[in-house]
This record gives sequence, structure tokens and C-alpha cells, in this order.
Amino acid sequence: MANHHAPAGVGIDPHDPAAPNRPGTYGEANRDIIRVLLTPSASFFAMLGGSVAAFGLFVWAVLMMFTYGLGTTGLMHPNMWGVMIITFVFWIGIGHAGTLISAILFLVRSRWRTGIYRASEAMTVFAVMTALLFPVIHLGRAWQVYWFFPYPNQRQLWVNFKSPLMWDVFAISTYFTVSAVFFYIGLIPDIAIFRDHATGLVKKVYGVLSLGWRGTSRQWHHYMGSYGFFAAFCAPLVLSVHSVVSWDFAMAPTAGWHSTIFPPYFVAGAIFSGCAMVITLLLPMTYIFKWEPYVNLWHFENLAKMCLLTSGILTYAYFMEYFIAWYSQNPYEQAIFIWRANGDYAPQFWGMVFCNCVAPLLWYYRPARTNIYSLMVVSILINIGMWLERFNIVVSSLAHNFDPATWSYYWPTNIEWCILVGSFGWFMMWFLVFCKTFPAVAITEIKEMIPPPLKGKLE
Amino acid sequence: MNRRNFLQALGIGGGASALSACGLDNNRYYTPVENVVPYVNRPDQIVPGTATYFATSVHTGPNAYPTLAIHREGRVVNVGGNHKAPVLGGVSRYAFFEVQRHYSPDRLRSPKAAGQDVTWEAARGQLADLVKSARAAGKKVAYLGGYKGPTLAKLIDTFTAGEAVFWEPLGREAEARAAELMFGQRILPRYDLSGAHYVLSFGADFLGGQWGGQWSQGEFARARKPVDGFVSRFALVSPHRDQTGANADDWYACAPGSEALVARAVAKLVADKKGYTGAAAAWLADADPAAAASAAGLDVSALEAMAATFAAAPAIALPGGVAGATASATELALAVYLLNVVSDAPGFGLGGFTGPVHGIARVERLLADAAAGQIGVLLLDEHVNPLFSLPADAKVAEAFGKVSLVSLSSHPDESSSTAALVLPCADVFEDWGDEEPVTGFHIVRQPAGVSLYDALSLGDVLLSTWRALDPSAPAGTWREWVQRRWMSEVLATPVVDALSGAAPGAESAAATGMPAAADPAATPVAAPAPPSAALQRQWEQVLSDGFFARPAFGQRVVPVVTGAPVAFTGVAAMTGSGEYALHLFPHAFLADGRYSNQPWAQEVPDPLTGHVWDSWVHVHPDTAAKLGVKDGDLLEITTATGKFQVGVEISPAGRPDVLAVPFGQGHADASGRYAKAGVNPVTALSVTKDAHGSMAWQQAKVSATAVGAQSDVWSTFGGDSDLDRKFVGLVSAEQLAGGDAPHGETRFAGPMLLDFHDAPWDARLEKAGLFDMYGAPEHPNYRFGLSIDTNACTGCGACAIACYSENNLPVVGKTKVREGREMGWLRVNRYWKPRRDDEGNVDPSQMEAGFVPMMCQHCAHAPCESVCPVLATYHTIDGLNAMVYNRCVGTRYCSNACPFSARKFNYHSYQWPEPFNLMLNPDVSTRTMGVMEKCTFCVQRIRRTKIAWKDRGHTDLVADSELTRLTACADACPSGAITFGNLNDAEAHVTQQRRSARSYYPLPETNVFPAVNYLGRATFHRKPAAHHGGGHGDGHAAAGGAHEGGAEAHGAEAEPHGNEPAAAPAGH
Repeated sequence: MANHHAPAGVGIDPHDPAAPNRPGTYGEANRDIIRVLLTPSASFFAMLGGSVAAFGLFVWAVLMMFTYGLGTTGLMHPNMWGVMIITFVFWIGIGHAGTLISAILFLVRSRWRTGIYRASEAMTVFAVMTALLFPVIHLGRAWQVYWFFPYPNQRQLWVNFKSPLMWDVFAISTYFTVSAVFFYIGLIPDIAIFRDHATGLVKKVYGVLSLGWRGTSRQWHHYMGSYGFFAAFCAPLVLSVHSVVSWDFAMAPTAGWHSTIFPPYFVAGAIFSGCAMVITLLLPMTYIFKWEPYVNLWHFENLAKMCLLTSGILTYAYFMEYFIAWYSQNPYEQAIFIWRANGDYAPQFWGMVFCNCVAPLLWYYRPARTNIYSLMVVSILINIGMWLERFNIVVSSLAHNFDPATWSYYWPTNIEWCILVGSFGWFMMWFLVFCKTFPAVAITEIKEMIPPPLKGKLE
Repeated sequence: MNRRNFLQALGIGGGASALSACGLDNNRYYTPVENVVPYVNRPDQIVPGTATYFATSVHTGPNAYPTLAIHREGRVVNVGGNHKAPVLGGVSRYAFFEVQRHYSPDRLRSPKAAGQDVTWEAARGQLADLVKSARAAGKKVAYLGGYKGPTLAKLIDTFTAGEAVFWEPLGREAEARAAELMFGQRILPRYDLSGAHYVLSFGADFLGGQWGGQWSQGEFARARKPVDGFVSRFALVSPHRDQTGANADDWYACAPGSEALVARAVAKLVADKKGYTGAAAAWLADADPAAAASAAGLDVSALEAMAATFAAAPAIALPGGVAGATASATELALAVYLLNVVSDAPGFGLGGFTGPVHGIARVERLLADAAAGQIGVLLLDEHVNPLFSLPADAKVAEAFGKVSLVSLSSHPDESSSTAALVLPCADVFEDWGDEEPVTGFHIVRQPAGVSLYDALSLGDVLLSTWRALDPSAPAGTWREWVQRRWMSEVLATPVVDALSGAAPGAESAAATGMPAAADPAATPVAAPAPPSAALQRQWEQVLSDGFFARPAFGQRVVPVVTGAPVAFTGVAAMTGSGEYALHLFPHAFLADGRYSNQPWAQEVPDPLTGHVWDSWVHVHPDTAAKLGVKDGDLLEITTATGKFQVGVEISPAGRPDVLAVPFGQGHADASGRYAKAGVNPVTALSVTKDAHGSMAWQQAKVSATAVGAQSDVWSTFGGDSDLDRKFVGLVSAEQLAGGDAPHGETRFAGPMLLDFHDAPWDARLEKAGLFDMYGAPEHPNYRFGLSIDTNACTGCGACAIACYSENNLPVVGKTKVREGREMGWLRVNRYWKPRRDDEGNVDPSQMEAGFVPMMCQHCAHAPCESVCPVLATYHTIDGLNAMVYNRCVGTRYCSNACPFSARKFNYHSYQWPEPFNLMLNPDVSTRTMGVMEKCTFCVQRIRRTKIAWKDRGHTDLVADSELTRLTACADACPSGAITFGNLNDAEAHVTQQRRSARSYYPLPETNVFPAVNYLGRATFHRKPAAHHGGGHGDGHAAAGGAHEGGAEAHGAEAEPHGNEPAAAPAGH
């Protein structure tokens, strides 16, 4: 996947005319990245305030739901899942790119991951944290959520290991734990740099978090070993988590859900949406924080290529669903797929097709995928398209289930829109705080890319 | 503060707080004393935790059927079927509404005089004063009420000295008038459908509640089951199909008002075919089939087909009811009588409801008398609400203004709220009484629970008032009066020709002759004879059984035509100039509007359209396109005298030139908090009578314009077609004629993907090439199952309402139903299926309505069970798909996995406003916000039955007879279409039905192994075009020789005439 023009050992493509500033020295790298953490500006606080306010909406909406019941949402018989499950799958999907970039690309030694993997990993952890809200709040009786956990209890109650939701509990909690640990391990040497630059209480906090990192050769030896181990440990999880999430649908006999294509289709979709989200997030950050030496169009072009690949897989999957519906002669499948494209939710369906299949085609044209405006617009379209994809899957199959006499039309209420918006608030809140407290570009790995300093030029 | 002060303060403060903690100064922290009092002196017949059943009756219009009132700890909590009674029993949908009415929060709790609460004593005194002063002034004391049982009707008639009018807006006055004209007796005929191979209805709502209810529904359903060797074919001649009409196998959409012409023409054809020369021939002299067919817009061959089928098989014709209440309503009834007479229909006789049935002419005369000041006191009973149900030009309000209006209704409504004196009399569960819905069949009514508000019964009010006025009046209470009449007339004289003596209060001659005022002293109760011990025992047996059948019951009184022929007018005239005919039909649940304040009647979806809490108008798809309206749009309907706006339901139920609106909605505030829904089309009509004085409801030509706004009518039905998904199983009727015997091959067109019949589990899987990961569930003793006969199901909705009542289902109201939160565990799906002819062509004019009650299928391989993360739903050893509410966390995944969408979710915690909470079934917990729920197969009844079985000393499994009608739905079904039982028992009814050749399972591809099976609906093929074969071929399905009715005639003679291929019409 790496650009063949990229010479070994250099963080950017030297042939790329768009690469303005080549990183100079270790010191410059330290300075450029730590600079981001200096006193936050008013605009930062405005963004953080906006995020917290959005999350406040979320809290209000959830309290309304808990107080008055799920009747405050648009959910209805037999359309029992809606925005909350859609958004859950959406955020779980977002949470795939980070681990993919940091673990799988690490294992295959794709050097272009270096500049972006930290931010992607942070995105992953926060996206999974966001996603984790939904299985809890969407419950009819959220206060009983602990019943999901199989632990010996006085009530002598156990859980149902046949249930895909139970598999979710394990898959997602495992994924979250491992991603968080992997993320933290990668941070340790960088935290040590912060500790070395900080004073006072902040130094103490970073000191504790750096776990006594001194950068000795022995520590590096262990560090690289464990990093490689976790990378290998994470890699299959990237594939398994969204497969398990897809089984929430595929295991039910509902037409439009009950399909073996779901696991690969969901994983491809997750990577697609995750990579698009990395572009959406990092593109503005690169220019706001002036990270051009470390993150630049080379990275974004490669992410765009990832999106192109997965967009192709998704388009194939969409087509295959229709083909199999026709080929199987299953009247229920046929009806649901015909209805998706023609029925009440046709705008969502065609919106999904446009955003996920058509819009990314622009990136086959190289100038388009190296243009920050096209990158930004199309990546946002992809995010919208992937939300719509989940909307199509979740809602349309339920709205037109087997029994025509129960067909219904689901549309979210304001409570659900608040929850959707609020989930972005919650995610951005963590992401913004992270950007100001930890290096969003991996300093130590960037330094690996910089040619070793020659004698006499040491600072 | 020094040490001393500190100790002083400590002492005072500590002491004070210690004292207050002892509760001396207040009781805020004080636990109240609760004594456990042993229930030593418990009332007789009440065992806490155990239901007691009182045999009683609930009636709607002339229809009454024995019913069990289920009594718990002093209260009536539900009603059940009295299965000792003949035919198929079950419970009328209206009986459940009566329970809810009993507990209505709007029910009046004490008498009111001039709007102020008064005591019963004072109210009775006022009534006596009013009557006394009226009589003193030479004014009459009159009564206006609905159809009444014989004893009460007699008492009322006596009390009012013949000034009692028993009238119902959607009543059967035209039939009574026609019987008077033709047979010389003002009586409702009896139509026994149980042996009819061919039922030709001219719009009769005989499967609805008011027309015939459980009697005709049970008899019809019996004829729809092939056990007797035939399947009855139901043909409808009417411009519109209501819930009854939707069951029609053949629909002849005649022009509005032409029913009488068609009926008479068919009678003529039948008479010719049979060579009839009796007294009725003179009535048919000038009937012209060709002219009738052309006036009705039908092909004359259609009339010939009807006549041929009618003449060939035991058949019966039914008159119009409300649908036939045109400006020739009486003529229609006469023509139908002629049809039955000329073919000597075996089910037709003069032995129906014996009580007085008065017409609109009597009501008009009453109102005129009132307006003229001749009436001093007008007693207005409940269930008659003239200010609501009569058009404005009846001038009801003016007449009421001239009398002392005394309301006897236990519920407020438009009319009773204008009364000066209100005596809210005891309701049907608090009162004594009796009914005689069919001559010779007597049903007793007895109080079945505590009187909620100590209301007096109507009988006692009248008797005590009578005694206050006249010291020589008969003694005794109303209960004694009822008992004495039974002992002296019903039980003591077993063979009475009830038809020889005119029923009390009957109109002796048309609309002119006044009945002679009965002399109170001459009534038989004046000199009661002490009952013998044998009679006493018999009376007690009646109270236990609930009914008593005299030999007169079941004996057909052959009608003799004695009247002179009347002139038949052509197509019934209509007022107004619009291009559409306004067709009124009774709401399936509200009856004539009397149940509109009962939340169940509003919330349970209308069986035909799924509408809730509103009125709607049936608009034919072509008409809708012409008017430019969509489902739910507001349509303004303008008659000659008024207009109203109503939401559109696009439906194939009516002709393109008909706009059909249900009767019964559109109440004013006075009728209660739940009644304010929809519109009352009567407001736009005028009082119109036919030539013989019967009310013509189908009177108006209207114009319709789209308002351009959206109404908030709401139907819970998502789609109208089952898309050939086998929710409706259609079976060729020809094949069913041989009976319902087990059959090796399924008779359905197209392959059933899995053949569930009989094969053991593993073999079935092997046949399907499936691998079962978890193995088959073990059912060592029971596997409970349900079998539903969709051919007998008429879509009456009683099962759905019974489920609400039994399982404490909350009523959520219109807003929440619109949001998709209705809580019914059992929904009656209605699918329109286009009929195909023998060549597979779709005939869009012949849509068949398939009614499919759908509930949890209790699958052995339930998708809901495997997906629940917390095991809140699981498979029991008895084969139930159990739902543990307390364990549910509300993921709702089970609902998404359910192919039948049978599960409901509690989106909120719902309330039962007092005193509805008293109606809750104590055996079933209410559910709270956030949990799923669904049909449990009435597990509480299963438990109770198992325990009772064990208590009776049995050690084996519960007998099939205890199980067949165990669930609330099976118990309630007046068609006997739902059978419950143990599928492990090879001899059980349910198992036999499951093995039937017409057994099918919706969605067999989902491989869920349901415990519920359905029996297919018979479909009668037609020749490709009506003119093709003429009569004979069309009538093949209802073939059969001389069928005498009843069970003797088993399928030997039921041999199809035609040789059509057996393919069912669902083309695959």
C-alpha cells in the first residue's frame, strides 16, 4: 500500500511537490508536536464547549428516555431498533480504522502509517467509548445492564451464550480493552518526553503515566516486543469485532439481515468509514496545528486509496445482496431489497449508494485525491453514507418484516436526533481533550523516520 | 458555654429527640399498626384466589347468548363462554365491553336531580311524584328504550300502560314490519344457518353483534367447517361489504337500493325452478329478473346463478339489516321472506326474538305526543340515545323539552345528560333479568358481583314507584318478579306456543293501532303461587346452567303467508343530488354507538380496516383516484341536509359509487372521556322512512370533495395483501366437501417447503436437509398448541378483546397507537386476496378477505429465545415460549427476530384510571416500562386447569376436554374457530386438526416449528366469466342433495358437480 516513491527512512514523499516542510531534526519534531499542547486558545475552548453542550443534549435526551420510557423515541412495533442501534454500529465501524492503521499496517510495515496512527488510535478508542453508550441506553431497562455479565450471583441467574448480543458483550469489551492498552503502550515513550518537558503537578501526572520510562535499550527491547505482540493481538480483533456486530443482524431470521455476506461486508464498511473519519478529523488538524512535516497529502492519499478499495468491496457487497436475493428466489429477500430501493426509505438508500459507491469514484482521479477540499467533502459524504447504510439495514428490514399486516414506518424523534448529535459531542469532547494532553502524532516513531543526526549537528 | 450549660443543653436536646423518636408528638416516623385478620367469616362462594363463575347473559339488541361472568373476590373481572349452551358458544365481543362499562370511570355513581347528587330514596320519591302529577294531569307516562328481555319488557309495558317504545336505531324493524305484512305476526324470524349450504345475504350483518351475533355466527361457523360434509358458501348482494360482508365468497355488488329487486327476482327464478305454486306466488307475479338485473347493474346470469345454487342446495336468504335499510327496506325483507318461502328454506322459521320490536314510526309518534304536551314523564333507558342517533329533523330536543325526562341510564350520554332526573340503574352484572333471543330458549341474568355503587335495578325502581302510587300493586322485589315469571311461565309450562300470543307491547296493527293498556291487576305476578320443590330445584339448576330450552326451541315454525301482496317499488329512492351513495354500516365494535366510551371498543383495531379511535370512509380505489385522495386524507361529504368531514380509507369493500361510513362515532362530551372520536354521519341525514314505515338509513346521495388536508385517522394494518406469503391458506372448497379427514398430501397449491405433518422431528430435519445445532426441545408430557380455522373465523375480533381482558393489556390511546405502541397480543390480520378464476386470471372485483388471528406461535425453534442475552424468554417443558417479565432488560432483539412480529414492547408504564384497576385479572401481573410481552397461551389458565385436575384426584395428564377452549381467545371465539390442546396427545382435537389436510403454517421457510397451525380457508372457484356457464357450474361448490340440516348428513352426498381442476388460486 505504501507509495513506491517513498524512500526508506523518510517520513514524507520527497517527490511530492505538496510536501512543503521536511522534518528537520529530533528537536524540531519534539517542538512541533509539543507546541500543540501549549496553552489552549479561545477557539479550542469554543470547540470544547460546543462538544460538551452537544453531549448535554445527549444526557437530557437519555434522561427523558429513562424517565418516560422508550416511547419518547420513534421506535414502534415491529420496528424495535432505530437511531441508537444505527449509531452504535456507526461508531463501532469508526473504531476500526485506528487499530487497522496502527496494528495491521505496523505488521506489514507500511511506513505511511507513522504520521497518522496515533490520532487514528485515539479516534478508535473514543469511538468505541461512544459506541459503548448505545447498547446501554437503548435498553428498555438500562438500569439492569449488569445482567448482561456472566458472574456468579445470588440470584442464580445466568446469561444466554447463544445470543449474538452476548457475543457483542465479549467482542466489544475485548476490543475496547485491547485497543486501549495498545494505545497506551504506544503512548508511553511520548509521555516520557512530555514528562521531561513539563514541570510541577503536570510533570508528576505524566511521570506516573510514563511508568518509569527512561528510554534504555533494555526498555526499548521489551517495548518493541510487547508492541509487536499487541499489534498481532489486535489485528484479528479488527476483523472479529465487526463480524460479531454483524451477527446481531445476520443471526436473526429477518429478511435483509439473515445473510452470510454480513461479516466481510460489515468489516469492509467499518474500515471504509474509519478511514474516511481519519481523513475528516486529521485534515483540519494538520493545518490548524501545522503538522505538515509529519502529516501531509501522502498520508491522505493513501487513506483515500484505502477508502477506494473498501468502497469497491462495499459496492460489490451491495450488488451481491441484490444478486443473491434474485438468485435465491427467496420472496422475502426479494421483497425487502426491491422495497429498499423503491419504498419509503428510497432516499436513504440512494443517498447511501451515492455517498458510498459513487462519490469515492472521484478519488480515482489523482488530483482529486490529493486535493484537500475534495478529500474533506468526499470523506464527510462517506461518513454520512455509512450512517445511511446502517439506517437501511436496521430500519428497512424491520419496517417491512415478514407479515405485511404489521408493516410500519419508523422515523426518529427529536430525542433520537439529540442522542445522535450528542454522541458526536461526547466523541469530540474526548478527542479535543486528548489533543491538548497527549501527542496526537507519535513523536518517537516520527523520529525513527528522521535521518539520524550527524555528528556536529547535535543541538 | 461552660460545662454545665453544655450538659443541660445536651440533656434537653437528647431527651427531646428521644421523645420525638418515640412518636409521641407525631406519627411521621411511626409505623402504623397492621393487624392480620383471618378470613374466617368469608362470604359464601368466595374463595380468595379462586374464580367463581356465574351463568348469566349479556345482550346487545335482540341478540343474547349465555355467558359466564368470571367473579373474583366480589368483583366481575371477565366474561367467558358458557359452553353448555347449544351451537358454538363463545363470548360476544360486546360482553367484554359490558365488563369495561361496568367499571367505567364515567359511570354515574348516584342519582341526580337537576344536576345535583341525591340519594336513591329521594330520587325514587321524585320519580313517584312526577308520575303521580303526570297521571293527575291526564298525561301519559312513556318509556323509550332498546330491545328488552320478556320479563322486563312486560313490566315496563305494564308500568307505562302500553306507552313503552322498544326501538334501536340499527334495529330490525323492517323485518318485524315485513313479518307483520306477510305472516300476520310482528315477530323476528329465526334464521338457522347451521345446515345451510348456501347463505344468500342481502347485506345482513349476521356476523356482527346486533343482528344475530353469536347465534348466527356460531351456526354459520359450523357450516363453514367441513365436518358435516359440506362447506357453506356465502354470497352477498350489497353495494358494500362490512365486517360480515367481507366474509362473502361471492360478492354481487348491486347498485345501492336495488337489493329488494334482486331478492324478489331471485325468488321468482327459484319459484319457477321449483315449480312453486303456493300463497307466495301471487307476491311474485310481476317480478322481472332481467329488469332487476339491469337496475342492479348485475348480469342476469348472476341472478340465475344465485337462483340455481339456492334451489339446488339447502340454502337460506337473509334480509338487509342496516345495509338493506334503504327506502325499500321492508320490501327487501318481504322479498327475502319470499325467497325463503318459495324454496322452503329449512333454516327459516318464525321463532326468533319474541320481544317487542318497534319501528321509527312509534318513536316519531312518541316524540310528537311529547311535543304536543300529552306526555308527562318520559323514561329514557340506557342504550338508546335519540339525541345522538336520530337526525336533527326528528326534533328530539324539542320533544324532550316538553316532558319531565327521567334517565335510567347508568352512563351519561347526549340524551341522558338533558334529563331532569337521573336514576343510574344497575347494569347487566348487577341486575336480575332474562332473555329469549330465540323462541323457546330462555337465558337468565343474575347479579354476578358486588354492586359497585349500590345502584337499584330498573325493575325495582319501577316496582317501588308503582307501589308508591298504588297500594294494590304487586309485592316483591324485581328478583322475585323474575323468578315468579320463570316458575309460572317458563319452567312450569314447558310447551308454550309463544307465537300464538302476541308479545307484550307489540304493535297490533301497522303503525296506527295503539295496544290496549295492560291492566296491572291482571298480570300473573299479582297472585303468585308458592313454587313447588321441584320447580325450586329446576330454578336453581337454571341459575347454575344459565339457560333453559323449552321444547319449542329447535322446532321450526313453518311460516304461512297470509298477507295480501304489497306493491313493490323499483330501486329505492334517495335524497340529494350527489354522484355517490352514502352507505352507513355499524361499527364492528361500537354497535350503534353504545360502546363508544369503552376503551377496548375504540382501541382494538377494526377487523376490516384496522382503524382505531376514529371514523373513516371506505372509498373505492377508482373513486379515490378520481377524487384525488390518498389513505388518511380528509374528505368532505355533503348531503342534502348537511355535511361532515372524515378520513379516507381506500378499500375494495364498496362499489365505486358508494362512500361507506361507520355508524357509532362522533359523540359529544357528554358521552364520556373516551367517546369523543370520529364523526356522526347521522347529523347530515334526515328522518326518512320507506313506504311501510321502516327507517331508511341508506337514504342520501352525496357529493364528496377532497379538503386537501390530512386527517388523523389511523389504521394499524400495514399492508392489504399477504403477498402470497401463506398467511392466508386457500384451499379449494370442492376438495373440502369430502370432510376434514387426515390426508397424506397437503392440499395447498405450491409446495410447502417443510411438511410438518406427523413426521418425527429428526425425520423432518433430514427431509429438509437441515442440521439442528441445539437439538429438538423435549416435551415429555405436554406440548401445548393452538389450531385456528380460518374458514370458520369471521374476523369478529372477540379473541383480540378477550386477550385484552384476560391478560391486563393496557389501552394506550390514539396518539400512542399512531406511534405504533398498541399492546394487543393477538391481532386479527385482514388480507385482501384477489380471487382467481379457474384459468388463473385475477378478478379484481372479487377480493376475498382472509382473516388470520395472529399471536405468538410458541415455536419449538423460537428465534426470539436464542437471541435473548439474559434468557428472559425460553422454551418450557410444556412447549410454551415463556416470557419472564422481571428478567427482561428490553433489548427488543426478540421482537426483531420474530418472523410473526408477535411481540409487543412496553414503551411506557401504563395506567388504569380508577376504577378500571378493579377489572384487572388478579392472576396476571401488569407489566412496566421497558419489558417485552406477548401471548402466553394464557399460562395462568393452564396452571389453574392443571391444579384443578390434580385436585380432582387425577394422576394422568389433563383431559383434552378440559383444554380445547382453555385460552381466553379459544374460550371467547363465537365461531369455535380456535382450538387449544396438547399436541402430544394424538387423539386431541388440536392434534387432529393439525394433521388435517388443510392445516398450514405461515412462513414455513423460517423453520421455526410453531405450535400454532391454521386451517385453510375455502375458496370457491368461478368460471372464467359470469356469462360462461350460467347457473349450474357456478353453484357446484355448494352442491349436495337434500340436506336436512344438522349433523346427520355426513359428506356422502357432497360431491362436486363440476370437474374443475383442484388447483388453489394462489398462482405459483
